[in-house]
Amino acid sequence: MLSQSTIDQLIDKFGRNNVITEKEDLLTLGYDSTPGLMHLPDIAVYPTSTEQVQFAMEVARNEGLPIVTRGSGTGLSGGSVPVTGGMVLCLNRMNKILEIDEENLTATCEAGVVTLDLFNAVAKKGLFYPPDPGSQKISTLGGNVMENAGGLRGLKYGVTRDYVMALKCVLPDGSIIETGGKSVKDVAGYSFKDLLVGSEGTLGVITEVTVSLIPPPQAKKTMLAYFDTMPAAGNAVSKIIAAKIIPATLEIMDKATINCVEDYVSIGLPRQMAALLLIEVDGHPAVVEEEAAAVEKVMQEAGAAEFHIARDAEEAAGLAAARRTALSALARVSPTTLLEDATVPRSKLADTFAEIERLTEKFALKVGTFGHAGDGNIHPTVLCDERDDDEMQRAHAFYDELYEKVLAWGGTVSGEHGIGVAKREYLAKQIGPAGVAVMRRIKNSFDPQGILNPGKIITKEG
Amino acid sequence: MAEKKNPLGKFAPGDAPSYESVLQCMRCGFCLPTCPTFSLTGRERSSPRGRVALARAVHDGDLDFTRVLKEESFFCLDCRACTTACPSGVKAGEVMEVCRSQAHSHFPQGHIGQSFRKFILEKMLPSPDLLETSMLPTRLYQRLGIQWLVRNSSVLKLAPNWMEKAAGMLPKLEAPLRPQLAELTPARGEKRGRVGFFLGCIMTLMYPGVSRQTVRVLAHQGFDVVTPRQTKCCGAPHLNEGDRETARQMASFNLDLFMQQDVDYIVTDCAGCGASLKEYEELLEKREDHARLKQFRAKVRDINEFLFEVGLRSEGLKEIRATVTYHEPCHLCHAQQVSRQPRELIKAIPGVELREMNESSWCCGSAATWGLKFSEASQQVLDRKLQNVAETNAEHLVTANPGCHIQLAWGLKQAGMKQDVLHLMELLGQATPD
Repeated sequence: MLSQSTIDQLIDKFGRNNVITEKEDLLTLGYDSTPGLMHLPDIAVYPTSTEQVQFAMEVARNEGLPIVTRGSGTGLSGGSVPVTGGMVLCLNRMNKILEIDEENLTATCEAGVVTLDLFNAVAKKGLFYPPDPGSQKISTLGGNVMENAGGLRGLKYGVTRDYVMALKCVLPDGSIIETGGKSVKDVAGYSFKDLLVGSEGTLGVITEVTVSLIPPPQAKKTMLAYFDTMPAAGNAVSKIIAAKIIPATLEIMDKATINCVEDYVSIGLPRQMAALLLIEVDGHPAVVEEEAAAVEKVMQEAGAAEFHIARDAEEAAGLAAARRTALSALARVSPTTLLEDATVPRSKLADTFAEIERLTEKFALKVGTFGHAGDGNIHPTVLCDERDDDEMQRAHAFYDELYEKVLAWGGTVSGEHGIGVAKREYLAKQIGPAGVAVMRRIKNSFDPQGILNPGKIITKEG
Repeated sequence: MAEKKNPLGKFAPGDAPSYESVLQCMRCGFCLPTCPTFSLTGRERSSPRGRVALARAVHDGDLDFTRVLKEESFFCLDCRACTTACPSGVKAGEVMEVCRSQAHSHFPQGHIGQSFRKFILEKMLPSPDLLETSMLPTRLYQRLGIQWLVRNSSVLKLAPNWMEKAAGMLPKLEAPLRPQLAELTPARGEKRGRVGFFLGCIMTLMYPGVSRQTVRVLAHQGFDVVTPRQTKCCGAPHLNEGDRETARQMASFNLDLFMQQDVDYIVTDCAGCGASLKEYEELLEKREDHARLKQFRAKVRDINEFLFEVGLRSEGLKEIRATVTYHEPCHLCHAQQVSRQPRELIKAIPGVELREMNESSWCCGSAATWGLKFSEASQQVLDRKLQNVAETNAEHLVTANPGCHIQLAWGLKQAGMKQDVLHLMELLGQATPD
C-alpha cells in the first residue's frame, strides 16, 4: 500500500490529472490486447518529460514498486500488463514529434507518439516511415520499439528495429543512456540500442526515439489471389520468394478470417474461397509493372483459382485496411480469441498450414489463420470461450504441439508480438537453458533489483 | 463450462448489459482514436474500451457499480463512433446506455429538481401572438416525458449554467407542425408508393419548417405521406437518460400505431428518432412478437436513406447555386450506418457544390442533454467541429438531425461564423418546385 505522502509527492510533481489512484482508472490500465490478462496496478502516472520519468522511477524504487511501462496498451503478449502490480508508467502523454530532419532523413519523437501520426507527419514532407503494425492508428512508437513491432510491409521494408537510429533510455537506477545517433554507421561498443529494441520494458524506459526515414515508393500495385486450399496458397508464397520477387506486402487470410473481415468491411471479399493472398509490389513504376506481371505468372503456375488487380489506390487502401482488422474481426465469432505468432522459414509455409489444419481437427477447435505469409509469420487464432475450461485446455495443447513442429523446422515462437508473459515457456524451449541464463545475466546488469516489468520474457529462476 | 455464480455480477436486477456484450471486446483499442471523450481527456476509463472493461468488471464481480461508472455512463456521448470503428462488433455506446438505467437503480434519487420543469414552462415561452403555440411548453414537457427527467435531475446533474445556455440555444419557435399537417398528404406526379411519416417531437416543436419540407419533398417524389397524429415520442430521450421502461411503453405504442397503417415504409427526418425506431427490435425483444418487430424494422428508413434507395427524381429540380458542407449526425452515420446516401442526394441537387469537411463524422458535442451536463467538454467538441466547418469556407452547413442542428446553429452564431445550418430536406425543399 502506498503512503499518502508518496502519492502527494507525485501529485506535486505531475499534477493531479497525471497521477491515477482510483480503482476504476487502475482497472483500465491493467490490460492490453492479450486475452485473459488483467492485473490491477497500485498506482499509475503520466509523466510528460524524461525528467519526470526519472522522478517516478525514483519514487517506485524507494517504495519497492515494480515499474511497468505502457503506451496505448495494444500489445499482444502482455508486455504492458502489471502482473505483479506496482506502478504503471503511461507514456502516451509524451506525444510530441520533436524533429523531422530532412538532411539526415530522421525523425525524433517522444515515446508516446502514435505510429500513424508519425507516418502522416513525415509523409507531409515527402518521406516514408515504413513499419506499420496492425494497430498503427493507436500504438505508440515507444511500444513499437519495445516489442519490435512488425507490420504489413515487413517483407520488403523490415520491422521497427531496422529503423531505430537512436534511443534515450532511463535505467532503473535513474541514469540516462543515449544510444545510437543520426550517423548511418556506428560500431562503437556494444549496441545498446539493439539490446533495448524488443526488450519489452525489462531493461529500461525509453523516452525518446530517433528513427530513420526513406523516400516513399513512386508507384505500387495491389493484387489478390484466391486459392482452394491453404497449403496451396502457402506453396504459392514460397514460389514468389523463390522467383526472387520481394513484394512490399504478402498477406494471407483463410476462409474464417475472410468471412469475419467481410462481415465488418463489406468490400466483396470472396467468402467461399479457402485462402486469399493480398500482394503489393511497389517501387519505380517500370519495376512495379514488371514485378506485378511476374507475380501474376507465378500465381497462375501455383494454381490460383482467381487473380485480381486492385482498380485504384482507394481499393488497394481498402484491402490493406481490411486486412488490418483481421484479428479484431475474428473476435466477432467467439468471446475469446487466442492468437499466436509462429514464424517459419518460408519454404515450410505449406507444411505449417497443413499442420494447423491437422491440429485443428485433432483438438476439435475453431481456428482462423491469417498473417504475414511473405515473412513466414502467421497468426493461427483459436476462436474459443474462456469460460469453457476444456476448450481452453485443448487450445493450449494445440499451440504446444504446433510450436514443437515450428521449432523443429527452425522457426521462432514470436515473429513480432514479443514474449511478454504469454510465451515465456515457449521461448525457454527455443533458446535453451544457456540462452535463458545469458538473458538473465543481461537483465541483471541493467536492472539488478528486478523492478522493471518483472515476470516478463524470462521464466522464473529454479 | 464454468458458470458465473450471479448471472448479472454486481449489476442490479433489471436492465443490464449482457455478459456476452462485454466479453466480445478483445481490447484491440481500435475505438480509442474515434472517441471524443477519450480524445478530450486521454483517460482510458473514458474510452469505449475502458468503459466496456469497467462494465465487465462489474459483471465479473470485481467492481461495484460505483459513482465512477455512473459518471462514465453519462459522460459517454453515445455517439456510436466506436461501434463503427469496432471490427469485433462491440457496442460500447449501447452498453453505456444500459448502464445509465443501472445508475438509477444504484443511486437513490434525490429531491425533485424543479429547475428543469421551471425552465420548460417559463423560459420556453413562444411568441405570444401565436395562440397555437401557447401550449407548447406543456406539450413538450409531457411528450418528452420530462416529468421523469425532473424527478431524476439529481442523478443527471446538469451543469450549473445549463439554463442560460439552453435558453440561448433554442431556435425561434413557431407553431408546431403536427396539428397543421394533414394525416394524408397525397403524392404528386406518378405515384411510387405510400409512406408513414414519423414526425418527431423536436421536429414538430422546434423545426416545423424542416418537416414541412420533408413531407413536401416526399409528396413531390411521388409518395403518399401518412402522418399519424397520435405518434408518441420515439423513446430516444428516455433511453438516453436511462429510463428504458418508459421508452418501451412509447415504443410499443408507436409499433402498434404504425403497423396499423397501410404503408410501405416508415420514414423519419430525425436521425435520433430513426436510430431509436431501428432499435425497437432489440428494445421490445421480450415483449412483442418477433416477426412483427422484424416487419416493422424492415420498413424504417431515414429520409436520406429512403430517397437514395428509391432513387431521387431529379428532373424538374430547381438549380441552387450554393456551396455546402455536410456534418454527419452520429445517429445517422454511426447508429444507422447511413453515410453515403445524404452526400449523393446533395450532389444530385443541380448547382450545389459539396465541400467535404475533415472529420465529418466526428460528434458535434450536442448528444441530447450531454451539452447541458458537460458544458465545457461540449464546447471543446463543438470548437473542433466549427474549425473543420470554417476550413471548407462553404456557405451552408447541412445536416440531418435536430440535436446537431441546435448545437451547430448556436455554435456558428457564438463564433460569428458566416454559415447557416440547413437540414438536408430544407436544401432539397428549396430545389423542389411548387
